[in-house]
Amino acid sequence: MLTRDSSHLSYPELLRQSRSFDYSACIRGMRLAVLSDAAVPQLVPLLQVLLGQQGVRADIHLAEYDSIELEVFNDRSALYAFAPDVMVILNAINALRLKYYRCQGDRLQLREEVATKMAAVWDTIGVRSSALVVQSNFVLPYERHFGNFDHKVPDAFHPWVAALNAAIVERARGRANVLLNDVDALASYVGRKHWFDERMWTLCKAFCAFDYLPMVAQNIVDIVLASVGRVVKCVVVDLDNTLWGGVIGDDGIEGVTISPSGEGEPFARLQHYLLELKKRGIVLAVCSKNDPETALEPFRRHPEMVLREDDIAVFVANWQPKPDNLRAIKEALNIGFDSMVFVDDSPFERQLMRESLPDVIVPELPDDPSDYVRALSELNLFETTSFSDEDRRRAELYRENARRQQLRLGVSDISEYLRSLDMRITMKRFDAFHLPRIAQLIQRSNQFNLTTRRYNVAECQAMMSDGETYVPFYLKLSDKFGDNGLISVIILKREAPSLLVDTWLMSCRVLARGVEQYAMNQVVKFAKAHGYTTVVGSYIPTAKNAMVKNFYEQFGFERMDEGAQRETRWLLRVASYTPQEVWMEENHG
Amino acid sequence: MDDAALRQRLNDIFCEVFDDDSIRITDEMTAQDVEEWDSLNHINLIVAVQRSFKIKFTVGEVNNLANVGEFIDLIRGKLP
Repeated sequence: MLTRDSSHLSYPELLRQSRSFDYSACIRGMRLAVLSDAAVPQLVPLLQVLLGQQGVRADIHLAEYDSIELEVFNDRSALYAFAPDVMVILNAINALRLKYYRCQGDRLQLREEVATKMAAVWDTIGVRSSALVVQSNFVLPYERHFGNFDHKVPDAFHPWVAALNAAIVERARGRANVLLNDVDALASYVGRKHWFDERMWTLCKAFCAFDYLPMVAQNIVDIVLASVGRVVKCVVVDLDNTLWGGVIGDDGIEGVTISPSGEGEPFARLQHYLLELKKRGIVLAVCSKNDPETALEPFRRHPEMVLREDDIAVFVANWQPKPDNLRAIKEALNIGFDSMVFVDDSPFERQLMRESLPDVIVPELPDDPSDYVRALSELNLFETTSFSDEDRRRAELYRENARRQQLRLGVSDISEYLRSLDMRITMKRFDAFHLPRIAQLIQRSNQFNLTTRRYNVAECQAMMSDGETYVPFYLKLSDKFGDNGLISVIILKREAPSLLVDTWLMSCRVLARGVEQYAMNQVVKFAKAHGYTTVVGSYIPTAKNAMVKNFYEQFGFERMDEGAQRETRWLLRVASYTPQEVWMEENHG
Repeated sequence: MDDAALRQRLNDIFCEVFDDDSIRITDEMTAQDVEEWDSLNHINLIVAVQRSFKIKFTVGEVNNLANVGEFIDLIRGKLP
């Protein structure tokens, strides 16, 4: 994701940077294969440097020009030998149009064939590899053979491509290993007149005008980063002259501008934009230099306000420096700085934030509020690779959490508090219905995550089917305040006489409720019932998971040895385990 | 733009594209004379020249270039 503005997406500038980029600071590696029916060697350095800027060192395999099917359908191809984590497939309309023109028969049937062949490519990849497929759609052509009448002729070129894109979307929806790269959205934003460079297509089969190749690369990077859990979880907004026009402390509730039309419209539009983000699971927080009561007044009483008090998960209005308040918001939500976006009209506050907390994403805002939404939208900050019921309910989940914390403050004894929550827990083997959420949690959990192994949906599905090797569990928790949904994943591996804990992770929303104590009891019970004498766990430290450093110790595991990557390994003799006290009932049914 | 300025600007582009500050272009120079001058960088060179001089080449012009001297003539002919 871009962190400030798109001005650095310049082709010559990125090429220059790619020559001398220092990848030693990268915290993870990734293997990308790029396949295209255009010639895209220029994309390789762009992908490398853009991923490098985000701390990812990419090894890239560029398939021969126009060899998508050749590589995919041959199970001994260089593509599979490379063992990519991600396969980027770029299809150019320039390549497809000749097939369209040459088709003498039924063009609607040709369209069906193109879409079916594409799905066959994805499915073949799915059988032979666990790689994520990032598939482009087709840029709509500028050719209008019937002029405006085009749209009334189903097999005219332009509507034919539009319908083909729809057919691709339909097929991609049902396939968890495929994500779409909406190249047509980029081209239409830039304008097709500028996007297509037909001379460069003739000369070297260029995918698009070179000026826009960085946009294509950035779009791929956005998808790839989101697929490994690098997503924005929270937007922190300023109030005066950001969420409304004017200064509430000076102008009063009658003086601030927010309205369905006129000068207040851009502010209403920003609020609607934020509300849509909230509906899809991004948490909203307020950080304003104001007295709290004054700052809350418009949320409570202004008739044109779109956002209400309930929409804001954490509301901070005081006179402290904003970086301090950002830290407090981060703590309250239990998320990382790099998953927070800070939106403020003041260049001073933005600069201070960048200098104090460089991991927080601080977009440049234009002078005119009319352009706020466009500036945010252009950065594509809110990429995701899934959308579940958990997302729809997230804002609610955080509010329920706030209520739990209030109850906690009123209770002195922690066990009394936990009992008073009336918790209900479910621990079950992976099932197809929960796979998308399971994979999402695996991608996103950073803090309570013992080994940080990022399995995607296809890999989870494989573990679900391989009962000989794996015993994968998910856990769901509800209480009297509401349903927390699927909050933990534990993947056990059979290696008799030991049961190995391959993965143990949990959402930080349910910290300190006794979920892990319950789960450990169950894991040991499973081990005992199936004849395992020891349970072996490991902890692989990352920049974010220090909170579970002593996880195994608290359950009586003994330290064995150190593995690679400063990994520590821990052993429990099943016979000597002391069951933990639990505060929750098992949910049956 | 006089001839010296044009040559200087083109020389700078060569240094940038081929990542070699020691390049001194001559009229007789061809792709054989520059180590990094492969088909990929050839396109990068064309793109960089078009961008820098705000001109556009036809495919035929690009394909028929014999040496740097002809390239300079071609650029000069397109400048206002």
